[in-house]
Amino acid sequence: MLTIEEMEILLPELTLVAGIILAVLIPNLGDSTLRIPLTRTRIPVFIGGTRFKSTSDPRLPARIAILALFVAFVFSFLEIKSASGEVGGVIEITSFTRMMSFVFYGALLLAAIATTYRMPARLSARAPTEKDSESRAEALVAALMDNRRQVDFHILLMMVGLGMGLMAMASNLFFMFVAIELASLAAYVLVAFHKEEEVGGEAGAKYFIVGSVASATGIYGMSLVYLWSGDLDFDALAASWAAMDGLDPFAVIGVGLMLVAFGFKVSAAPFHLAAPDAYAGASSPVAGVLATASKAMGFVALFRVLIEVTMPEEGEALWFGILAIIAVITMTWGNLAALTSENPKRMLAYSSVAHAGYMLAAMAAVGSGLGDSSTTELVLVAIVFHLTILVLFKLGAFLVLGMLETEGRSHRLEDLHGLAQRDPLIAGSMFIFMLALAGVPPLSGFLSKLLMINGIVNISAGTGSTSADGIIPWAETVDPVFWLAMAIVLNSALSLFYYLRIGLVMFFEAPENAKPLRKALHLRNTILVLTVLTVFFGIGSGADYLLELVKEAVSDL
Amino acid sequence: MYIRSNLGGERLIQSDPLTFITLTPLAVGLALLILPYLAPASMADFTRKISRSLSMGVALAIFAITTALFLGQIGNIDWLNLQGEYVFQNEEVTLLKSIGVQWVVGVDALSFPMVWLTALLIPISMLVEWDAKKGHLFHPLILIMEGALIGVFVVLDLFVFYVFWELTLIPMFFLILVWGGDDRRYASMKFFIYTFTASVLMLIGILVMYFHTGEHSNLETLTKHHFDLVEMTAQASGNGLIAGEGLRHFVWLLLLIGFATKMPSVPVHTWLPDAHVQAPTAGSMLLAGVMLKMGAYGFLRIAVTIFPESTVVFTPLLIVLGMASLVYGAIVCMGQTNLKRMVAYSSVSHMGLIFLGIATMQPLGIAGALFMMFAHGIISPLLFAVAGAFKHHYHTLEIGSMRGIAHHSPWLAGHMMLGWMASLGLPLLAGFVAEIAVMIAFWMTFGWLVIWPALTLIITAVYYLTSMQRTIFEGGDPHVGVLPDTMHGEEPRDITWHENAGMFVLGALTVLFGIMPFIFWDMMSDWSTEFMLETLVQAMNSQGVKP
Repeated sequence: MLTIEEMEILLPELTLVAGIILAVLIPNLGDSTLRIPLTRTRIPVFIGGTRFKSTSDPRLPARIAILALFVAFVFSFLEIKSASGEVGGVIEITSFTRMMSFVFYGALLLAAIATTYRMPARLSARAPTEKDSESRAEALVAALMDNRRQVDFHILLMMVGLGMGLMAMASNLFFMFVAIELASLAAYVLVAFHKEEEVGGEAGAKYFIVGSVASATGIYGMSLVYLWSGDLDFDALAASWAAMDGLDPFAVIGVGLMLVAFGFKVSAAPFHLAAPDAYAGASSPVAGVLATASKAMGFVALFRVLIEVTMPEEGEALWFGILAIIAVITMTWGNLAALTSENPKRMLAYSSVAHAGYMLAAMAAVGSGLGDSSTTELVLVAIVFHLTILVLFKLGAFLVLGMLETEGRSHRLEDLHGLAQRDPLIAGSMFIFMLALAGVPPLSGFLSKLLMINGIVNISAGTGSTSADGIIPWAETVDPVFWLAMAIVLNSALSLFYYLRIGLVMFFEAPENAKPLRKALHLRNTILVLTVLTVFFGIGSGADYLLELVKEAVSDL
Repeated sequence: MYIRSNLGGERLIQSDPLTFITLTPLAVGLALLILPYLAPASMADFTRKISRSLSMGVALAIFAITTALFLGQIGNIDWLNLQGEYVFQNEEVTLLKSIGVQWVVGVDALSFPMVWLTALLIPISMLVEWDAKKGHLFHPLILIMEGALIGVFVVLDLFVFYVFWELTLIPMFFLILVWGGDDRRYASMKFFIYTFTASVLMLIGILVMYFHTGEHSNLETLTKHHFDLVEMTAQASGNGLIAGEGLRHFVWLLLLIGFATKMPSVPVHTWLPDAHVQAPTAGSMLLAGVMLKMGAYGFLRIAVTIFPESTVVFTPLLIVLGMASLVYGAIVCMGQTNLKRMVAYSSVSHMGLIFLGIATMQPLGIAGALFMMFAHGIISPLLFAVAGAFKHHYHTLEIGSMRGIAHHSPWLAGHMMLGWMASLGLPLLAGFVAEIAVMIAFWMTFGWLVIWPALTLIITAVYYLTSMQRTIFEGGDPHVGVLPDTMHGEEPRDITWHENAGMFVLGALTVLFGIMPFIFWDMMSDWSTEFMLETLVQAMNSQGVKP
C-alpha cells in the first residue's frame, strides 16, 4: 500500500487511474436492483439496468478524461521543480520525469479536446426509423456508434497517458518496458479506432505488427542484458557497464537490440516505415499524440539506455558512430519523403521522422564524448526543449487537420486548398506552425534547433584547422561531429520547401468548398492558444522561463 | 496627475524614440487587423470604419516624431558629428538570455535617412491609395510594413534584424496577393520564394558569424555566443570575427546573396519587375522606395562592416555586379512597353550604381551610394505613384497606347515629367547629386572605366525622353491625342486630389534635395569618411591595396 507521501508524489498518475476507473463505472450506473434470493426485497446495486439520465450522457467520458488529464497536467507542472522521491524500488521521481509527464499529459489533453469535435458525442442521436432517408439513417448510425465508443476511446487515451507517465519515472529497465507496452498497446487500438474507415484498420494492423516485432526484439535484448549483469536497475546497469572489461557480447548485442525497439518508438530510419501509414490512418488527434508524446517517450528510453547506462565518463561512446549515421539517414529520408508526399498527414509524419533525426544527431554529438559537461548538458536541454515545444506546433498542425476532419477528410493536399479564404485565423495558425516546424526565427522551433546546432558546433569547436588553405584540407581536419550540424542545416533548408508548400496552397489555391470552416469553438481557441505559445516560447521571457525549467529537469537526469 | 502623464507616451518618446516608432505601428496595425475577428459585431464595424484614418494618424505621428528627431527637438543630436557612434541607443532589453538576443536599437547617419524616408513614404503611400478597396485591411497592412521596415533599419541585434527582415515580406506579400494585378499570384509567389530563399542563405551566414562570437560582455548566455551587432563589430575590428580566411569569404558571399537579391542586382533581379507590375501602387512605392534599400543597408551594415577584407578582395565582383545591373537594366528599359516594368528595370539600373559606389572604396563614392539610396527612395515612389495613377485613370500601362496626357491630365503629366527628369539625373534634382558623386569617385579610382556608367546615363536619358514624348506630348490631334482602347469611351480625367497631394510632396522633396542636398549629404559624407578611416583603410592595407 502506498503511503501518504508516495501518494502525494504520484498524484498525477493516481488521478489518471481514478479517471480510468470513473470512466468505466459512471456510464454504467443505472437503476438495477438485486433481489435477495428467497425474499422479495430488492436492493439497488446501481451497476447496470436502465441508466440514469445523468449517467447516460454520451459526453461524460470525454469530460472525465479531459478533467483527469488536465489535473494530471497541472500537477506535473507544479511538481517539476520540487519533485523527488522513490516508490517501491522501481519508480524514481525527479524533475526530469515530471517534465516529461508534463509533456505527455499536455499532448494527451490537447488530443482529448480535439476528439470532442473529431468524434463528437451527440445527444440528439437516435436509432433510425423507416421514415429516415438512407443517408440520414447512415448518419444516425454513425452518430450512435460514436456515442457508444466514447468510453473506449477515452479510457484508452488515459491508459496511454498512464503508461507514458510511469515509463518516464521507471528506474528499472523491466518496469520501463512494461510501462511502454501499456502505452503502446493502448496506442495501437487508438490508431485502429476508426475501423469503419478502410485506412484505419490497415494502419492499426501495420502499426501493431511492426510495433510488436520491435518490442519483442527489445525484450530479447533486455534478456541478454539481464544475462550479462543479473540486474535490470539502471544504476546497477550503469555500474556494470562502467566496470565492464572490454566489450561483453551479451551487453553490446542486448543494448543494440533495445535500440531497435526504441528506434521504432522515435521513428528513426529504418524502423520508421510503419509511421506514415499509422499517422495517415489514425484520426488527427491520435496521430498528433504519436508524433509528439509517443516520440518523447522513445527519447526518454534512449536517454535512459544511452546516456545513463552506456555513456562512458570520458571518450567516445560505443554507439556514437552508428547513431550518427542513423540520425543523418533519418533526417534526410524523412525530408525527401515529405517533399514528395501529397497527403498532409503523411507529410507531417515524415516531417516528424526528420525531427527525430535532428534530435538523434544531437544525441550522437553527446556520444562523441568531445564536449565538456556544460556543452553536453546544453545539447540535452535542446533535445528536451524541442520535445516540449513540439507539442505546441506539431500537435497544433495535427489539430488543424483534425478540424478539417470534422467536416470530412484531411488526407489530400487539396483539402487544405484555400483555407485562408475559409478561415484566415486557422490558416494563419497553420502557417505559423509550419514555419515553426521549419525552424524560422523568432518561433520556438528555431530556438530549439539553434540550441541543438550550437551544442553540436560547440562540441566540435576547435577541431577545424583555421590555417587550412582550402575547403577540402579544412574538411579533413574537422571532427566528424561538425558534419552533423551541417546535416541539420542542410536538411532544414530542404524541409522549407514542403512546409512552405502547405502555406502556398492555403493562401493561393481556390478552395474546393468555399464554405467557412466549422466553428468548433474550443478546438479553435485551443489552436489559437497554441499559436500564441509557439511565438511566446520562441522569443522573450517565456522562452527563457521554459528553458530554465528544462535545464533544471535535465540536470536531474 | 503630473506623474502619470510623465510616465506615459511622451516620456517614452523622449527616452526611447526608436523603440516607440518601431513597435507602435506594428501594434496598432496588428490590432486593427485582428480585432474585427475577435470583437463583437458592432465593435468590429466601428474598428473597420476608423481603421483607415487611425492608420493614417499613426503614420503621420511617426513621421512627426522622426522629423523631430532630425531637427533636434528630441534628443538634440548633432548629426554632423556622430563619430561612428549610434545615437538614441536604448537600454538593452534581454529578449532571449539563453542564446543572447537583445532588443537594442540605435541609428547613425547610415540608417537615419532610411528611417526618415520610411516614415515619409508610409503616409504618402497611404494617401495615394486613400480609396483602396478593403481599406480597413489595406492601411493597417501598410502600417505593419512601416514597423517592420523601421525595425530593419534601427535594430542592432542580428537575430531581431533577421526577424524584421522576414517580417517585411509578409505585409508586402499580402499587398501583392490581395490588391495586385491580374497575374498577382505568380508575382507574389515569385517574390516570396526569391527573397525568402535568399534570406535563408543570409541566415546561414549570420549563424556562422554567431558561432564565432565570444561571450557577451554583460549577458551570461547558455550558448556562450550572442547576436549583438555592436559587439560583433568591435570583435571584428580587433582580431577578426572569423579567423579562417576561406570561411570569412564564404560568409561574406552568403550575405551578399541575401542582400543582392533584395536590392536586387543582376542576376537575381527577376522577381522585381514581376512584383512591381502586379503590386498595387502603394506596394510598388514601398517596394522600390524602401525595401530595395534594405539590401544596400544590410550589405553596408553587416557584410562590409564586419568583413572589410573580404569586401576589398571581392571588389571586382562588386564592380561586375554593379556594371551588369547598371548597363543591363538600362538596356532592357529601352525595350519595355509597360510603364511599371520600365520603372522597375530603371530601379535595377540605379541599384547597380550603389554597388559601384561602394566598390570605389572612397568616402565620396560611399557617400554617393548612400545618397543614391535616399534619392532613389524619393524619386522611384514618385514614378510608381505616377504609373499607378496612369493605370487608375487610363486602365493601361502600355506606353504607346496613350498619347497626349499633357492635354487631358496636366497634373499627371507634370509629375510624370518631374519624376522622369529626376530619375535620368537632371541637375538640380535629387538624383543628379548621387550620380555625379559616384561618377567622380569612380573616375578617381578606376579611371576611364567610368565611360560605362556615363554611357548608361545617356541610355537612361534616351528611354525616358522617348517614353515622355510618346505618352505626354505626341498625338495626332493635340486636343484629343490617342486614347487607349481600355478607356471604353470614358472621358479622360486628371488625377484625384489625394494622388495629387502625395505626388506633390514627393516632387517638392525631389527638388528640395536637388537644390539643398547638404541636408542629408553632410551627415552621409561624415559617416563614410569615418567608416573609411575606421574600417576600410586598414582592410585595404592588410590586403595590399593602395587606398
